[in-house]
Amino acid sequence: MTSDRKPDVTPVGLFDVAGNRMVDAELWDAIAEKNLADWEAEWIPELFKLLQALNRKGVERRFWPQSRHWDWRDKMKAIEGRLANQSFSIVCQDMTQAMMTTDVTKRAQIASQKNDHLVYVDFLEAAPWNRREMTQMPPRFSGAGSILILAAIEQSKMEGFRGRIGLHSLPQANDFYANKVGMTDLGQDAAYQNLRYFEMTPEQAEAFIEKGRKK
Amino acid sequence: MAKKTMTLNLSDEEMEVLERLCEKKDLSKTALIRQSLRLYQRIEERLEKGDKLFFEHEASKEKAEVMML
Repeated sequence: MTSDRKPDVTPVGLFDVAGNRMVDAELWDAIAEKNLADWEAEWIPELFKLLQALNRKGVERRFWPQSRHWDWRDKMKAIEGRLANQSFSIVCQDMTQAMMTTDVTKRAQIASQKNDHLVYVDFLEAAPWNRREMTQMPPRFSGAGSILILAAIEQSKMEGFRGRIGLHSLPQANDFYANKVGMTDLGQDAAYQNLRYFEMTPEQAEAFIEKGRKK
Repeated sequence: MAKKTMTLNLSDEEMEVLERLCEKKDLSKTALIRQSLRLYQRIEERLEKGDKLFFEHEASKEKAEVMML
């Protein structure tokens, strides 16, 4: 939820690809004004540079980053004061590296947990420099997406939802949720712009946590 | 996040419903009441905007408006 309160901070680690080492980072349980300022002043100009490069190379629009129209300030304004929504961000080297918002009013669809509560990931985005598919180059930091998914799982557990989470994925992220995160793909959702809907059971959540521990 | 504690007075009937729902949804009483508050807030927000609340039957697509108290 947006608020003026100071975010609670959890120490986490990101992988610095160029330096080939883990670096200290922070998971914030909020998207604060600092994160929105980073998005406006750093993410957007970087994104424009990438779009320009893709356009000049003649890359078709369907291969451009599909979250390019996302306006995080608008998204945060829309959920301001709502108890059902929570936001998270990752900060590393004094820069926002990824952001996510969640909603706890949605219900599960997998037969084994049909109508049970879950944490629904509304939006999750990494900074442009951390996204391989956009740059065709190694990301600056990797691991931000997985940390945010773990935060959603942790929120689900705290709410008593046993780690159940769900989300609609942009096509460019389908592979990440299906193969790296290990969520169940329930196919295209005609009621949600035909995006694929992915859901995680408590068992899959435990498997994902365990996979993270082994790294 | 800091949390505050309150005492909630419920009738036997209300407590029975609360306990039954908690068992059905595998949630604690606190979790279920927090969830109810979030939904109440969301519904109130939509009603204030002039929206109506409907239930739709998954198969028949039949819609029924929920009367709000």
